[in-house]
Parts: sequence; structure tokens; C-alpha cells
Amino acid sequence: MSSTSQKHKDFVAEPMGEKKVTALAGIGDALGKRLEDKGFDKAYVVLGQFLVLKKDEELFRDWLKDTCSANSKQQGDCYGCLREWCDSFL
Amino acid sequence: MSTLSNKSDQEISALLDEYGIKHGPIVDSTRSLYEKKIQQAMGNKGKAKPSSDKTYYREEEEEVTYLSYRSPSMSEGYGDREQYSHSGQEYAQRNLQDENPYLRSRSEVYRSPDVVDKHYDTPLTYSTASYSNATPVKCSVPVPEEKSHRLIPLWVQFLVFLIVAVFLYFVICNMESTHSEPFKQVK
Repeated sequence: MSSTSQKHKDFVAEPMGEKKVTALAGIGDALGKRLEDKGFDKAYVVLGQFLVLKKDEELFRDWLKDTCSANSKQQGDCYGCLREWCDSFL
Repeated sequence: MSTLSNKSDQEISALLDEYGIKHGPIVDSTRSLYEKKIQQAMGNKGKAKPSSDKTYYREEEEEVTYLSYRSPSMSEGYGDREQYSHSGQEYAQRNLQDENPYLRSRSEVYRSPDVVDKHYDTPLTYSTASYSNATPVKCSVPVPEEKSHRLIPLWVQFLVFLIVAVFLYFVICNMESTHSEPFKQVK
């Protein structure tokens, strides 16, 4: 697996609390804006979606792609970030 | 069939299970995703799903491009010859039948002769140039000739063997140079 980014490390290091959705790995300004427009304004809302999709990678990736047009790398980064966060804190 | 958005959550869930799609609860945020997945699955099923061997699909795509280019430069080396002979065979088959039988003919005819016939297809390479109706006739010749399935075509094996033999010959020649010196001029 490729090494994780600093953003990823920062996110999985602590409970996400009220962090914005752009704090997620793979989610930059553009994607963050699109997600916010759809109502996913905080990271925990995306977490909620992740959990409702039963933490399934393919489903989550597809959902990300449909919702904010994330590319494959962004999908992977976000998925990995959330999964690891769940492994530590859920 | 009513549109997916009219179906209840249970019906969507049932459809997802029917197509073998792993899913979670159907809630507002997930519904559209699942509807899309069902539509994709329905589309794939309607298209008469290709057999599990993905190489068919790729070859079909290649075949399509060859048909559109229509430039059979047969002397382009072995690789192309394989593909052309392939496309010729498949094109002829496609000629005969379309749409749904299309899948049937593919699965029936191609599969085992598929890998094998590459090296048998010398008659086919000529027929691909003309794309005439004679191709189905010629196609039938190599088809029954199903011999053993080889991963590497026979001619490639022969070629490799020849190359190795020639290489060894040169090596031995050089080794003998102490007393025979084949590369030195005799005074």
C-alpha cells in the first residue's frame, strides 16, 4: 500500500469531533464544497454514510464518486482514512 | 416494470439481493446509489453477460477496431497476424448471426478453438483481406481442428527453439577457436 499522507495521519490520530469534511484524507476544497452542498458538512456525517454502507469499500467508493465526483485515488484515500479511524475509535 | 424510485425500500432490498449486490439499509442517502447499482445490473444482464473469460471481451473490442480500420497489413509480424486471424474468424461468425445469437455463437464456437487456432489460421489471414462470404466456409475448417490447448502457440515454441539452437551454435564456434579459428582468415 502506498504511504499515507499527513492529512490521513492527523485524522486518524484523534476522535474527529466537529472537524469539517475537508479534514478527511482525499477530500480537498473542491470535493469538500460539493459534499457540503449535498448536506455532508461535517466529517461525522460522511462517517455516518460510511457506516450505513456497512463500511464496504466498493459501495463507499461508488457513493463518493456519485456524490462529489471523486477520482479513484481520492476515493481510496477517504475510504482508508475512515476505515482506519473506525478501527481505532469505533 | 415500474421505475425504481416507485418501489418500496423492501423491494429495492430484494432486487439488490437478487443481483447479488452487497448492501446496507436503504435510507435517503443510500437510495439513489442502490437504484443506480440495480440499473447497472439490469443493463448488464440484458446485454447477455459475457462469459467469465475476460479475454473474450478484449478481443471483441479489438475486433471492433479492426473492422473499423479495415486495413489488413498482414505482413506486420506474428502478433498482428494472430489478431487478424482472430478477427476474421469472429467477424465471419458475427456476420452470420447478430444480437443474442451473437453471444451463443461466441460461447459455442470460440472458446476452445480460440487459443488454439491462432497458429492454424494461415488460411484465415488470406480470407480476412477479402472479408468475403467465403470466410465462413474457411472458418469451419480450423474450427473442428481442436488440438491440445497451448498457452504459447506452437510456432513461437519453434522459433524460440531455433533461436536458442543458433545461439548455442555460435557459442560452440567461439569456444572451438583455439584450434580451428573459424573466424580467422587462413593465410
